[in-house]
Amino acid sequence: MKPAPFDYYAPTSVEEALDKLTELGYSGKVLAGGQSLIPAMNFRMARPTALVDLNKVKELSYIKPTADGGLAIGTMTRDSVVEDDILVNERFPILVNTIKHIAHKQIRNRGTFGGAIAHADPAAQLPAAILLLDANLKVLSKSGERWVKATDFFIGPFMTVLEPEEMLAEVVLPPMAPRTGASYQQVSRQKGGYAQAAVISTVTLDGSDRVKEARVALFSVGESALLASKPNQVLAGQVPTAEAIEEVAAYVAKNECDPGTDIHGTEEYRRNLVHVLVRRALIDAVQQAKK
Amino acid sequence: MNIHLKLNGKDTDLVVIQDESLLTALRRAGIWSVKHGCETGECGACSVLMDGKLVPTCVMLAPQADGHEIETVEGMSEINTIHPIQKAFTEMGAVQCGYCTPAMVLATKALINKEMYPTLEDARDALSSTICRCTGYVKPVEAIMRAAAMLRGEEVPPIDGGGIPMEIAFGLTGESDLGRDLPDFLKGDSGSDLKTKKDVKFAPWVTPESQTDVVGHPEIKVDAVKLAKGKPAFTDDINLPGMLYAEMLTSPHGHARIRNIDTSKAKALQGVHAVLTYKDIPRVIYASGGQSWPNPKPWDQVSLDNKVRFVGDRVAVVAAETPEIARAAVKLIDVDYEVLPVVLDPREAGKPGAPVIHDEPDAVGIPDASRNLVNVVDAVWNDVDKVFAECDRVFENTYYTPKQQQAHIEPHITITYWDEDERLVVRTSTQVPFHARRMLAPLIGLPVKRIRVIKPRIGGGFGGKQEMLIEDLAAHLTLATNRPVRLEYTREQEFTSSRSRHPMYVTFKVGVMNDGTIRALDMSVISDTGAYGSHSLTVASVSGLRGLSTYKADALRFHADIYYTNKAPAGAFRGYGAPQGMFGLEVIIDEIAHSLGFDPLEFRRKNAVNVGDHIPISTALGEGGTIEQYVLSCGLQECFDEAAKSIQWERRNDPKWRVDPERPHIRRGLGVATCMHGTAIPGLDMGGASIKMNDDGSFNVQVGATDLGTGSDTVIAQIIAETLGCRLEDIIIYSSDTDMTPFDVGAYASSTTFISGGSAKKAAEIVRKQIIERAAKILKTTTEGMYLRNRQAYAADGRSVSLEAVALNSLHTVDQQQIMGTASFMSNYAPPPFGAQFVEVEVDTETGMVRVPRMVMAVDCGTAINPMTASGQIEGGQLQALGMAISEGMEYDTEGNVLQKRFGDYRIYEADEAPDITAILVPTYEPSGPYGAKAVAEIPMDGVGPAVSNAIFDAIGVRLRELPVLPEKVWKGIQEK
Ligand SMILES: Cc1cc2nc3c(=O)[nH]c(=O)nc-3n(C[C@H](O)[C@H](O)[C@H](O)COP(=O)(O)OP(=O)(O)OC[C@H]3O[C@@H](n4cnc5c(N)ncnc54)[C@H](O)[C@@H]3O)c2cc1C
Ligand code: FES
Ligand code: FES
Repeated sequence: MKPAPFDYYAPTSVEEALDKLTELGYSGKVLAGGQSLIPAMNFRMARPTALVDLNKVKELSYIKPTADGGLAIGTMTRDSVVEDDILVNERFPILVNTIKHIAHKQIRNRGTFGGAIAHADPAAQLPAAILLLDANLKVLSKSGERWVKATDFFIGPFMTVLEPEEMLAEVVLPPMAPRTGASYQQVSRQKGGYAQAAVISTVTLDGSDRVKEARVALFSVGESALLASKPNQVLAGQVPTAEAIEEVAAYVAKNECDPGTDIHGTEEYRRNLVHVLVRRALIDAVQQAKK
Repeated sequence: MNIHLKLNGKDTDLVVIQDESLLTALRRAGIWSVKHGCETGECGACSVLMDGKLVPTCVMLAPQADGHEIETVEGMSEINTIHPIQKAFTEMGAVQCGYCTPAMVLATKALINKEMYPTLEDARDALSSTICRCTGYVKPVEAIMRAAAMLRGEEVPPIDGGGIPMEIAFGLTGESDLGRDLPDFLKGDSGSDLKTKKDVKFAPWVTPESQTDVVGHPEIKVDAVKLAKGKPAFTDDINLPGMLYAEMLTSPHGHARIRNIDTSKAKALQGVHAVLTYKDIPRVIYASGGQSWPNPKPWDQVSLDNKVRFVGDRVAVVAAETPEIARAAVKLIDVDYEVLPVVLDPREAGKPGAPVIHDEPDAVGIPDASRNLVNVVDAVWNDVDKVFAECDRVFENTYYTPKQQQAHIEPHITITYWDEDERLVVRTSTQVPFHARRMLAPLIGLPVKRIRVIKPRIGGGFGGKQEMLIEDLAAHLTLATNRPVRLEYTREQEFTSSRSRHPMYVTFKVGVMNDGTIRALDMSVISDTGAYGSHSLTVASVSGLRGLSTYKADALRFHADIYYTNKAPAGAFRGYGAPQGMFGLEVIIDEIAHSLGFDPLEFRRKNAVNVGDHIPISTALGEGGTIEQYVLSCGLQECFDEAAKSIQWERRNDPKWRVDPERPHIRRGLGVATCMHGTAIPGLDMGGASIKMNDDGSFNVQVGATDLGTGSDTVIAQIIAETLGCRLEDIIIYSSDTDMTPFDVGAYASSTTFISGGSAKKAAEIVRKQIIERAAKILKTTTEGMYLRNRQAYAADGRSVSLEAVALNSLHTVDQQQIMGTASFMSNYAPPPFGAQFVEVEVDTETGMVRVPRMVMAVDCGTAINPMTASGQIEGGQLQALGMAISEGMEYDTEGNVLQKRFGDYRIYEADEAPDITAILVPTYEPSGPYGAKAVAEIPMDGVGPAVSNAIFDAIGVRLRELPVLPEKVWKGIQEK
């Protein structure tokens, strides 16, 4: 199977890549792991006229600790490399758990950390994960760099604030606060398949087991990954009782997501899933935080 | 452009096109082990190791391999050597069709390189990106564990054991019983009481302790090694000079008349060699289902028509220099459609005002085209209404089974070309080469004698290839261009334009007495055949045959109405109507048992048929005539015993097991279903085999039987090896080439082991007789008491001569003669295999998710000629059936567009989520089959659906009468309760 014809460029440096992107403008497209772009092209859903392949740009593939205890991940780092990395396992076990739910190892061996974010699939794990972890994104273009908060990055299904001549270069994850528990919950028909509804959450507790911060990110239930605000509003400063969590879960399911009806389920059913999963995620995260 | 890579350890320069996939580039470079099963990275068949990591090549551009190291299975072994991983796959029976095997072998390599001591979970995870439609992943996982042990240098246990008692295999006197007059068996002279005949003189090699040497043993499949090594064995694994690529234009509308087609722009495109539409080829009416002559009606298709009846229906076909040009040309065809309204629900299709799908005047044998009525089937036995009136209770309900897609990983593919004798060669992935040749001839205007159909290895069929689906189009293009033409479906076309299981609404009415005796069964069916009537009559009949055979009753009635709808046609699919019928039957039986207060297992045991029982419905419904059918062998009760033990049926009564205190939202339950199938179509199915002896005492065997990955070549070779007293490796088997091999109806109706195996046994007996006569001459003795074993012919006095010496003597020394034999076999009996299916479920009461941790099936298939391939069938079949139960079902929008067009949306079980699957073989001896064999391939499709539904009821008290049991339906059921 061969996609529609296109021009192909394989720069070996960021500079070269940015030159090419500027030159091509709207007709150019970044090719990262290709695990979303090439199936779309084979299926004739995407027809770029020129590809700028970043696979030979070695300087975009790294995982570096930051001084504050967080991590900086280069956009071309393969999902499986992030998943197996010792530092990531130490500092962000929830990220590892999340990545394990992306497709299968074979796909994660090709798919890139930044590619999944730039792709902005509303059913994808990593956009939700970086919302949850409050990441900062480094965006490069020929005219320089700019930093975008994860919460400002996604603007719709498969849409981000990236301009055609820009590339996502790095994702910086601030450190997790001490006594933070996290949980990943999803309902999907297949273990490696896209979820019908999914929730990732973190809960940080203070010394007296009250909630310092509760974060809940949702995906597959709206036009893009979502960060719910109600959980923190209700739970911050409180002891996370079953009743409070139930109230939050019900509210999020009703008001803070927007699942449509599609082949994977009706809206009514998927709101129910959000309700159940938010509850389970928060209860689990609280338990993890106490460990 | 040029790329440089290390390919299987060698520095290699490849010329690639920058916009082609690595998959295409590798195959062009002769790396045939890399397979194509989709275009979206979802099946895993195209995987290679890149820098040691498993990656899909269909979603990677060829230039991206530049500078990398690529490894495929071709690099793992040489001629005469085999890598331990490949060896483990062959030894454990992990290779069925073998289409996914190279990818699985590479996945194993990547795993073991990283983890020398993999856990079962690691093994499942490693295989999770490779969809296997055949094995159920049980044996591949075992192969990984064995390979890891081998690579750690550990001693691994030999794969052997098995065999069946000689006295049963050969009779006490060494006489074969195949083809004996069967009604005698019914009079008590059955194979099973041979043991009591103390007065019979034993043949010299038959003692109560001795076992068969080849039959009944888990022999390695004869094609396993080449498949594990990724040899070019499949249809697409050749390169023909000048080959053109075909592409179909299919209908975007569910129902439309073609006012006009303009192909001028397409024809003008450089590199296009032919564009065919209904205007270019003769209009010949046919039915595409691969069945015996004369094909069952209706005959309602033509190769290209001026009307389209479903989204995906054929409009035109193009042949061009490259696939890209062909695809571009297709887009340049202008079609003027008059769009017509569609009807998608078979329950609406017969109503006044519904659009008439087949209004063409020349269709043959549609009973009422104006009402979209394709066929009506009726059968009765005794006065059903009278018996209902006598019953204490009468139960009635309707059950629905979905449109499941065969989803063999190798798509439909055909390559046609003229040979040097100007005969048309059709190299095609088919289950029915002989039917295909006969059906193709009139469509293309060539006599049968000018067509040769070759069936290479098939990458799975499951009924999807019991169809003459694309051969006609490729052939027309070769006729139009005089060039070789290759036509392959994309995965998307497999969903839009191939065949599928007939969805059915099955209503059962069952009359019972309060003591739990079933008295009367009434079954009525509404079947949805889609836009064409392929297999519609026979599939509906089989649903009735299976629905009304399993339990004894005093009266039976069957009625089926089959309707056209504007959806992709249904066709043959493993089980062939039985899973549809058995779903309704086995759920209503469960409902009745609960309602009457019986244990559902005991209720089944009480009412099921047993040895000696008459199967009255088969004469009323059977395709093959009016021969009365009886149960000659039946291990059903033993199947219940074994499987119930294995699943721990008594856990149902343990409240602590049913609710997990750690996970209070989870409920557990167990379900059971009885399974009974058929073996071949009595009085109709026939297969032939021919055997010739070579100088070294080996044998060439030609059979028409079509091994589609199930292992039939192996089973046939085992039957012959046993009969001729040689080893399996002495049999060189060649199957299914209409020029070379005897006729066979093909691989369907669970018939191959029984029918083709029967012909193999008869042919081998002819050869055995010739060998014995020759050996007797050499040894200067009589043939009396002479037998073949251990590659020797033994005289009664114990002296022997080797088969090689017999062959040399016969071919070269005196009275020169080619020792050979040809035979065919047809049976008037269709002995039913039996099975007991058990399923364990966990239901999440908050989300409706149903997880199946474990499935157990015990099967009585008579003698399992090869217990490894037989259990492989049972494991893989159960997982396919679980797909239909839990996740697989094609859905359509209101215009007739199928919603699932790729594996990601059409959900097939993958290795990491597949349950623990157990297959138990319960041996019986079927007197009408070769070495006591019955069928095994289809029966595992029958019980999983109802057992899942019954287990869900057991867990949460919600009765689901519709498959698949999508979580939302379960959740709604819980809400409504
Ligand atoms: C069988 C299969 C199953 C899958 N299942 C899942 C799943 O369960 N969950 C999931 O999240 N994903 C899944 N994926 C998608 C996979 O994770 C993708 O790899 C990922 O979403 C995109 O990453 P990529 O590196 O492959 O990007 P590509 O496919 O190369 O690119 C995707 C898009 O992002 C753009 N892009 C990429 N990198 C940059 C950059 N640095 N700057 C600007 N734009 C950029 C590209 O131009 C393109 O538009 C699956 C894929 C397959 C084939
Ligand atoms: S994953 Fe590549 S062919 Fe299916
Ligand atoms: S053996 Fe795996 S697909 Fe056939």
